[in-house]
Amino acid sequence: MILTGKTIVSALRPPYPYGGEFVSQFLFALRLCWFPLLVSTVAFGYGAPGLQAANFLVLFGALDRLGGFFVLASIREFAPFVVAIVLAGVAGTAITADLGARKIREELDALQVLGVDPVKNLVVPRFLALMVVTGLFDVYALLFGIFGGILATLVNGAPLGPFWATFFTNASVTDLWGSLVKCTLFGAIIAIVCCYKGMTASGGAAGVGRAVNQAVVIAFLGVFAFNYVFTQTLLATHPEITVIK
Amino acid sequence: MGWLAVPKDWIATFGEMSKFCGKIVGQVYGLRVFRFFGEALRQCGILILSSTLVIWGLVFIIGLQCGIEGAYFDRSVGAPAYAGVFAAWCDLRELVPYAFGYMMAAKVGTGIVAELGSMRISDEIDALEVMGFNSVTFLCATRLLAAWLVLPFMYIAAIGAGFFASYLAVVQQIGEVSSGGFFLIFWMFQNPPDLLFSLLKAMVMATGIVLVGCYYGYNASGGPVGVGTATAKSMVLNIVFVHLIGMLGTQLFWGANPRAPIGG
Repeated sequence: MILTGKTIVSALRPPYPYGGEFVSQFLFALRLCWFPLLVSTVAFGYGAPGLQAANFLVLFGALDRLGGFFVLASIREFAPFVVAIVLAGVAGTAITADLGARKIREELDALQVLGVDPVKNLVVPRFLALMVVTGLFDVYALLFGIFGGILATLVNGAPLGPFWATFFTNASVTDLWGSLVKCTLFGAIIAIVCCYKGMTASGGAAGVGRAVNQAVVIAFLGVFAFNYVFTQTLLATHPEITVIK
Repeated sequence: MGWLAVPKDWIATFGEMSKFCGKIVGQVYGLRVFRFFGEALRQCGILILSSTLVIWGLVFIIGLQCGIEGAYFDRSVGAPAYAGVFAAWCDLRELVPYAFGYMMAAKVGTGIVAELGSMRISDEIDALEVMGFNSVTFLCATRLLAAWLVLPFMYIAAIGAGFFASYLAVVQQIGEVSSGGFFLIFWMFQNPPDLLFSLLKAMVMATGIVLVGCYYGYNASGGPVGVGTATAKSMVLNIVFVHLIGMLGTQLFWGANPRAPIGG
């Protein structure tokens, strides 16, 4: 919590020495995550909302409603959620391992002695990079999640036209913004938890491993708890998006 | 040649991993692991004490989530009474296995990598070999056996936690369905084979996660940094793995047969 405040303050206050680090962290997260995320979102979109919901709707003879369901399932819930899981598991653990190793080798203390603020030069770029990356990955996950849905529709032998029709009548800008904001905040939670755990690692090799373990557990729990509160608030404050047309 | 190196590397790692996993599974089935049954029981105890509550907590939150989304969706199609379907399907068939897999990967999987990795780094595994212990049996096979002993029960309790959370969200929080109405639909839309399939899915995930954790931990190298990277790498593989199992399981168990009492 204190680290969050410190990070935001030092992100906003000049000077801004973290440009290069920001870009490299951004590319790092991008390179690490694109493939796991692709597999995960297609698998998730095809399996959970795709097949199960299609089964349910086929019984009603209303498979064309699957598009509408995908707005609800994929945009509002699963895309941000899968992105958060993958980012926490892949980029978050890498960040904790990296910072933890630096802490163990006393590089962080060395930086401090040199008069370089580790929060400003290490945490802030990771924090910003992860926020931007999760926000952008949300769109990516949406695309591939919907691809999973299309796959499920095709497996059931239905035409795609009705899928898109119900999808676009139901999709609203509020949904998309809600999804993006949620995802960006997930990125912030993950970055802060993982940086904190990395920077406070202690106790040699076992310590780094344990720090990664704890970081990922705390990040998951934090993301899920936050997700529940956010969905609840969004649904309650925007009743119009809960109506399926 | 440059771009070919990466996929080649992957294939080589995959082969090594399969060999290693085959060895562990063989030792559990070959009953050689029972020489170290005490150690297996100790691992069971560690699993129960350190991981159970976290997994149940995550499943509980997922259950709440399923409950509210389901209730809003069913209201919009004009069938609010059917919110129980979501509790039965979303919880039992899809999200509880996923949540279980995620938390297993995060808590147990990385825990095993960190533990075995630091043993490898501090040469404890080599010390075991010198003392005449079979280190794969002693360290990895016992953990797999412990997981198989404990996790089915933990998983069933986790499903219970998820159901309870959905009930809370649908009946107590949103309050459009009476408790009796919820349970009528809820029990109508599931049957014992569903529970068995869900359990199977979760157990395949758990087995995979423990094996991947053992592989990366056992083969860690390169000092404290190496342990950290091995932990991070195992997490990547586990996440992909959990999603693939989830999808294949759904396709296999429910793909052609929704098993629901609607229509003909």
